[in-house]
Amino acid sequence: MANSPSGVDFHWPEKFSEIPKEAFHRDDIYRAELERIFYGPEWHLVAHVAEIPEPGDFKTLDVGEAPLLILRGDDGAVRVFNNSCPHRGTQLATSGRGNAPDITCPYHRWNFNNRGELVAAPGIERFPKDFRKQDYGMRELRSEMRHGLVFATCDTETVDLDSFLGDGDDYLFKLLGEGAELRLLGYQKVVFATNWKEYGDNEGYHAPLLHRAFSLLKWQGGVGTQCVTERGHKLIVAELGATRNDGFLDDPSLVEFLDENAPKRSIVVNLFPMTVLTRHLDVINIRFSFPRSADETEVHYAYFAPADGDEEMYRHRLRQASNLLGPSGLISLEDGAVFNRLHRGSNTLGTVAFQKGADEEMTAPCFVEQNDEASNLIKWERYREIMGFQRG
Amino acid sequence: MVSPEILAAIDALQVAYVRALDRFDMAAWLGCFEDGAGSYVCTTRENDEQDLPLALMMDDSPARLIDRTRFIDEVWAGTFEEYTTRHFIQRLDCAATAPGRYRVESNFMVVYTTDQRNSEILCAGLYVDDIIVTGTDARFTSKRAVLDTITTPRYLVYPV
Repeated sequence: MANSPSGVDFHWPEKFSEIPKEAFHRDDIYRAELERIFYGPEWHLVAHVAEIPEPGDFKTLDVGEAPLLILRGDDGAVRVFNNSCPHRGTQLATSGRGNAPDITCPYHRWNFNNRGELVAAPGIERFPKDFRKQDYGMRELRSEMRHGLVFATCDTETVDLDSFLGDGDDYLFKLLGEGAELRLLGYQKVVFATNWKEYGDNEGYHAPLLHRAFSLLKWQGGVGTQCVTERGHKLIVAELGATRNDGFLDDPSLVEFLDENAPKRSIVVNLFPMTVLTRHLDVINIRFSFPRSADETEVHYAYFAPADGDEEMYRHRLRQASNLLGPSGLISLEDGAVFNRLHRGSNTLGTVAFQKGADEEMTAPCFVEQNDEASNLIKWERYREIMGFQRG
Repeated sequence: MVSPEILAAIDALQVAYVRALDRFDMAAWLGCFEDGAGSYVCTTRENDEQDLPLALMMDDSPARLIDRTRFIDEVWAGTFEEYTTRHFIQRLDCAATAPGRYRVESNFMVVYTTDQRNSEILCAGLYVDDIIVTGTDARFTSKRAVLDTITTPRYLVYPV
């Protein structure tokens, strides 16, 4: 007998700090997450406008397991569609990014303009009398833009994007260069052998401990805060001083701040359910991500730079982006290793627990200390409520 | 027409490169590059075809090459999941670009094995190499590994 609205028979531990390991592995839970979270009342980041600057430009991305097509029309508007012909469901775009003056489904040659409207369908004279072209445009999702970011949701009734982002809006503005026009540098795409929630559980506690480069470079963070919103977003800002190389690196330029106009700080925005955006040193990074199953998570690291920088600064950002922060990054590779090891290790009985800074009295919104891990418990509480899992 | 002696020197360099990586010998990997002038870039065909300059690894100077070996041998040790690789290379084209200098393009495929169990393809793609040959000695002045594998099945610890 199922004990939750999600239809999954599952009991959550009584203790606030504990998370059941089964949540990272059970396929029935994963299927319910797709319905209640990824196709439910959350907003998902699907693009930055710098990825599709010209009319006809498109990119493809999955939300949950659903393939989407993000397309800029000849009217300049960005729209988000199912990447699926409304006739028989054929996938429309097959590449990650490109330009299309119009879209033609190969199966029956139904043709759509880049606003998603059906233009022509061969044999239309033999269609039922009540067939109307306007009913068979590409299926558009509800979308909104903020600071150049394109968000979409499968839920036509959910709150607007402002309400969803809450205080996250201001952090995103600062992270993305306070209104600067951005230029896409490129992608690093990888699959982690981990559950999407383990990927999203990275926290402040581990940072100076897992990543040895921080201590080797005597790279100490200054004052910082973590804010957790009612929707389960984690908003992190931390001052970041200069490194002390002491001859450790032959090329220390890779870990230097060169942008004199930018505050010396890091900003990390972790949006529920799983999108992460970071600004570290002189690099802006958006990690588009989606689950491929309960056991795999795909992440597209996309990097951006202000469009108006000089050539030297541009080159510096490019070198940092390529070497420092991605799946093979000099100060981030260990994260990927831990994601995979978490998933192997959590295939055992019992619970995991977040300890540092944990307090049963915590409620959202709240601030936790920079190197605490308790902020994740607020996010988990929101997850538990969405999934309808009862404690005890 | 490139002489058999030159091709032999170039092929010996490719073999030395494979031997270095598959034996985790980062000092030997470094030794495949021209002293004081080598560069290594690993990127994807997606980035390349869209004129996106980002790479997965961008060691655009000898100092960066040295720092990469230091991170693999000293900084990351003990954190990542061990895996073994087997590189397979097939030379496609070789053309002289200047006296003693050659542009060489080769297919590559890298098979990786984890947990002493599963062997799968880590990535496949094209090497675009600039090589300097002095007598029988060949070194990379520039090596670009362009991956067809746009989304790799795991994070890359070692160069390919």
